[in-house]
Amino acid sequence: MAFDKLYYSAYSGSKRFSQQNIHSANATGFSAAADDYMERGIDLNEELIRNKPATFFMRVNSDAMKESGIYKEDVVVVDRSLKAATGKIIIAILNGELLIRRFEKNNNKIRLLADSNKLAPINIDASCEDFAIWGVVTYVIHKP
Amino acid sequence: MKAIVDCNSFYCSCERVFRPDLSQKPVVVLSNNDGCIISRSDEAKKLGVEMAGPFFMAKDIIEKHQVATFSSNYNLYGDMSYRVMETLKMLCGENNVEVYSVDEAFLDVSMVDKNFLDEHALQLRKTVEQWTGVSVSVGIAPTKTLAKIANHLAKENKADTNCIYTLDDHNLIKKVLRETSVSELWGVGRAYAQKLVNWGITDAWQLSNMSEDWARTHMGGVVGIRLIKELRGIPCIEMGQELVIKKMIATTRMFGKNVTKLSDIQEAVSTYTSRAAEKLRRQNSVASMIQVFMVAKEQSHPENFSHGATISAYATLPVATSVTNELIIPALKMVTQLYEPGRVYKKAGVMLSGLVSENCIQSNLFQPPVHANKRSLMQALDNINFSMRDDVIKFASSGIKTDWKMRREFHSPKYTSRWKELRKVD
Repeated sequence: MAFDKLYYSAYSGSKRFSQQNIHSANATGFSAAADDYMERGIDLNEELIRNKPATFFMRVNSDAMKESGIYKEDVVVVDRSLKAATGKIIIAILNGELLIRRFEKNNNKIRLLADSNKLAPINIDASCEDFAIWGVVTYVIHKP
Repeated sequence: MKAIVDCNSFYCSCERVFRPDLSQKPVVVLSNNDGCIISRSDEAKKLGVEMAGPFFMAKDIIEKHQVATFSSNYNLYGDMSYRVMETLKMLCGENNVEVYSVDEAFLDVSMVDKNFLDEHALQLRKTVEQWTGVSVSVGIAPTKTLAKIANHLAKENKADTNCIYTLDDHNLIKKVLRETSVSELWGVGRAYAQKLVNWGITDAWQLSNMSEDWARTHMGGVVGIRLIKELRGIPCIEMGQELVIKKMIATTRMFGKNVTKLSDIQEAVSTYTSRAAEKLRRQNSVASMIQVFMVAKEQSHPENFSHGATISAYATLPVATSVTNELIIPALKMVTQLYEPGRVYKKAGVMLSGLVSENCIQSNLFQPPVHANKRSLMQALDNINFSMRDDVIKFASSGIKTDWKMRREFHSPKYTSRWKELRKVD
């Protein structure tokens, strides 16, 4: 069997995985038996991305959220369509910078908490014009 | 009713999504090769930076006011455009959205109750902005041509309109058309507008009152009638298909320096051909014709800013192809033909035309059939270049040292398409 056919379109570099086009399957008789059970393999996007046009990846550049298991160099999945609520980890815009912090809102008082005892919470004034929420962190991708 | 959603200073908006420090600050984005300004934020417009003006002419203003300047990052803009369009499709239904350009889409909003059109538009605008970070303006009217005018008005005074403008009332349409010159109309080019002005038709209201017979004889038949009807609020340009497959692919660049040697031009043309062939394969087409053109500096006025004449040659390919080496060979032959020793070249380009779908190549009786291996080779090449970095693998004729690609001095990271270039958060 031609070698190139073996891997045909299993991964065509399009960042899309499909297990349906394995040509060798026909020759072995596997396909006849398995045809009815054909299903796509596990796709990480399915689990990590709920709302594709609103989902972005970012690289963590600090140890501010270390206690929550988010380390420097980790990748975070950020969904812009979600609403920030107390307890959620968000990407905040503060004075033009992007920060990853835990969001807390009590009686219209907003605080950005770092999960690390080295960093003090940041109090956001109601009048603060340089604060905005960029998105809500939904997943962390960590390399152990 | 039709709506058009148009992104505000789209390229600048895309850059700002990942650079919140630049919100409210003047931003400009430059064209390929950093030649001209192709996108300006409102703040940059206010400073007097001209649209489509050459970069060097605005340099003084840019330096004085510290305008943030970016080279065009099409990887980013393409991805952000996709996100905006996907969002609109999710909100309005796939069949009601017609992607018109990278930053514009027509929407069919006939199903929305007339009294809620403004609210619907506001909802769209807010959701797109929330999800993608890109701000948009919405124009709503009975026809596409009028919606374009409405969108223009929405953008003109953002504070008053809230980036939304609805043209639904007959008297309002009349008032607006009177204030719109014919040259601003959708589908009316400069020459066409001049022709209309010569007949004494200067504003859109006058034009909309011309008779259909007049349009048929003086305005190019059906096209003219359609325009007039659209202005009267009778829809004639229906929701079309999405962007059509290109009929022609061109890659052309200014060299950015003086080039005199034949081998240098050959390297450049070879690079542009590879680039064009890649684009061709991406849309699963093959080309049956290749054209090469070169622009030399005007000999008589060496200090003159304007270019010399374009010299070009074309070749018809024996079999339509998208295989890079099969395109490079005729391209280089033509460069040798066109080249004149002693002249200074400023620009060169390659144009592929006679494009047909890959699946219906007309075979040539006198040529052996194209081997599938070549296509696999190209696919492997594209995959490697796509997943790693542009030009990891290239043809030796493109040179190994010189960078003939775009000059992109102020390039921002490909935040959404490369793991290594993700935006960092602290």
